[in-house]
Amino acid sequence: MSELSDVKAEEQTAEEQVADLAEDAKAQQAAVVAAPEPRPPRRLNIIGRRNWFFALSLIIIIPGIVSMATKHFALGIDFAGGTELTASFPNHPTLAAVQQAVDAEGSNGSVISTGGDGYIIRYPALNTTQLANVQSDLRKRLGPTNVQQILTVGGTIAGETIFLSLLAVVLASVAILLLLAIRFRNVPGGWRAGFQFGGSALAALLHDVFILTGIFSILGAFFGLRIGQIDAFFVTAVLTVVGFSVHDTIVVFDRLRENLRVSQRLSFEQVVNLSIMQTAARSIITSFTVVLVLTAILIAGGSTLQGLALALLIGIVSGTYSSIFNAAPLLVVWRKLQPLR
Amino acid sequence: MQLVLSWPIRLFVIAVLIISLLVDGAGYVYRIANKLPLQGNVAGLPPNFGGLQLYFHKGLDLAGGTHIDYQLTNFPAGQNRAEVQQRTIQVINKRVNALNVSEPEIRGAGTNNDRITVDLAGVNAEQAQKAIGAVSKLVYTKWVKDDKVTGGPEPGFKPALTGLTGDDISSASAAIDPTGTSWVVNISFTASGAQRFDDLTRANVAACPGDSTTVASANCAERHLTIWLDLTQTDIDHWEDSSYAAKVSSSYDPGCLAAQTPDTICGKFLTDPITREEIAGGQAQISGAFTQTSANDLATGINSGSLPVDLQVLDVTQVSATLGAQSVKLSIAAGLLGLAIVVVFMIIYYRVPGLLASLALLFYAGAVLAVFKLVPVTLTLAGITGFVLSVGMAVDANVLIFERFKEEVRAGRTISAAVDAAVRRAWPAIRDSNTSTIITCVILGFVGPSAVKGFAITLAIGVFASLVSSIIVTHNLLAIVLAGSGFRRAGLLGVDRVRTV
Repeated sequence: MSELSDVKAEEQTAEEQVADLAEDAKAQQAAVVAAPEPRPPRRLNIIGRRNWFFALSLIIIIPGIVSMATKHFALGIDFAGGTELTASFPNHPTLAAVQQAVDAEGSNGSVISTGGDGYIIRYPALNTTQLANVQSDLRKRLGPTNVQQILTVGGTIAGETIFLSLLAVVLASVAILLLLAIRFRNVPGGWRAGFQFGGSALAALLHDVFILTGIFSILGAFFGLRIGQIDAFFVTAVLTVVGFSVHDTIVVFDRLRENLRVSQRLSFEQVVNLSIMQTAARSIITSFTVVLVLTAILIAGGSTLQGLALALLIGIVSGTYSSIFNAAPLLVVWRKLQPLR
Repeated sequence: MQLVLSWPIRLFVIAVLIISLLVDGAGYVYRIANKLPLQGNVAGLPPNFGGLQLYFHKGLDLAGGTHIDYQLTNFPAGQNRAEVQQRTIQVINKRVNALNVSEPEIRGAGTNNDRITVDLAGVNAEQAQKAIGAVSKLVYTKWVKDDKVTGGPEPGFKPALTGLTGDDISSASAAIDPTGTSWVVNISFTASGAQRFDDLTRANVAACPGDSTTVASANCAERHLTIWLDLTQTDIDHWEDSSYAAKVSSSYDPGCLAAQTPDTICGKFLTDPITREEIAGGQAQISGAFTQTSANDLATGINSGSLPVDLQVLDVTQVSATLGAQSVKLSIAAGLLGLAIVVVFMIIYYRVPGLLASLALLFYAGAVLAVFKLVPVTLTLAGITGFVLSVGMAVDANVLIFERFKEEVRAGRTISAAVDAAVRRAWPAIRDSNTSTIITCVILGFVGPSAVKGFAITLAIGVFASLVSSIIVTHNLLAIVLAGSGFRRAGLLGVDRVRTV
């Protein structure tokens, strides 16, 4: 703790200064009268330890990038095209028995167990007649079959879904960049500082996207888990995470801008650290509530939604982490490499 | 900020609350108003208030059913694509009617009018595709004398195939006749069809000449040209069996035709008009006591033998009703669980303000659900996820305000000044941070794949409602409750100390 002590002392003055310059004169008086010694909130020196936090991010991102580069992704049905039949068999056949029955059909199907009697069988795209044949065949080989869901996606639609998804991602990124540019165009330091703010926020955003896509590549393509398959819902998750991450970063940077105006005596690093500390509670609490909700969906929400919930969960945790431990520290590094004057 | 705390705004919030509750509980309001039991099935539900169907519109993944996207190919040359698409939709509508689907949804799509989307609740993909893809053949018959025939549209006569079929018709459409008083059906024949039709009508008139409207002898059976769907020579061979003839002569039944086996006898009759004069040139008009509906029905029936285009299946989704019901249960569970967790957490962490925020959250949930019913938003699994997620996000604005509130109290403001300052200073961050979510939603809503559009819509509605709930409702509740001194205790507010002066 000793290494933190002088930062702490300085920041308290900064806080007083913030209060000094606040518009409400009554409150100022009150601060002197009724709150002679406000308990200083616990402070961490995040900026001082920024390299540790960058390292932690890289530990997760690098394997993800390696996996994406070598193994790519496991594509869900709406990206890959094909027919997917979800069914349960009350006669409790084993996975091997189901696979054997599917192999015997000669329709190139592959089987995944979903627990209990439930199985998902994936074929190349089947037409109505083929699908009817496959179903009656399964019934013949495995007994009664409760078909819960059948999805058939042709090549045209699959290609279109991929195109639309990519288009949505690109458009959203551009729109959010514009939003950032507009929000931070009047930061002290002019357009160069504004660019640094926007760039750091964008870097934090990319961090989240890479973490999320990397982990899904590892889960889906490396470990072959069904939950790691990417589909239209995954794209939804990525975009929601992008929005959410920018959410958090904007709150930190907003505070930073406010503090930069009022605290002339502190170094840039100290103001950044103060701003992070002032907003961290809010970021963590907000994310925590969303994480609770998502965990509820993940546990109670059934298999269709689990992939979406998991992706949002990873992305939102990552988004909160990056807004606290990456975005503003990156800004400090950038400012060091490229001083304003 | 004074505006937000004014009475008009408060009354508005109360009005929204009452309307939301009425809409959310529309089913119960209806039961109570009509003194019906609160449980079980009763007639008249869902209630219909002035055209508003106040119930949740469930997507197919929740209701169970089949969704098919078709690509239209081989558009007839020289015809308006939008009209061809519309005609195809009418034909498909007619065909799926036979499946007895409640609220079938058949919509045109595609940038070039070249897609049709079909949503059918409670039907499996095989039935749906069979009914939609069914090819019925339109045939024209003339009548030949057969004394043993007692049934059918022309007793004493049996039909004879003329060789004129649906392949010879290029289109049929309902229209108002030139005098503007009655509905007619116009039929256009192809070039070869026109020639054959000309020959047939000439033979018709020659059978018993004269003005068919005034001269009784001119109105003979041989002068009629009758249109059927799928009428075969086998049917004609059975014509002397009067019950058989009666069955076949009943109005055509697309569902029966779609599923027919060699043994089933379906209604195949379309219309039996008399030929007034020889028609050359391939443009015929059927008139009679048509209403707009019956004229449209007949035109669709004539068209339904052959779709004007070829349908190619792009994708099919079939969800069983059990899976749908299970999904509904799971998503309600997830939603309630999420809401409960958030409420408990907020109350423990923020005490009285947390409790007030939880009340605002309930207001928020009630209002959003009412909007879903009123718009109406078709709820899918992804849509419900968007809503549940927005519950989590709705808390965000409250958290921003409360954290700021604690800071302001710490800085020595009085409670009411702190509430005011907290809302005012948190507002820019709330506004900006929600903007990014809205941007994402708008983009997803416009260019996203159709599966995720529902998610974007519910999330966007949720974000808007959460702004209102946090800025207006939470703020007002805080101002009202904290006006009394009873709650101004540090322990209740989750702060270290409270300025009492």
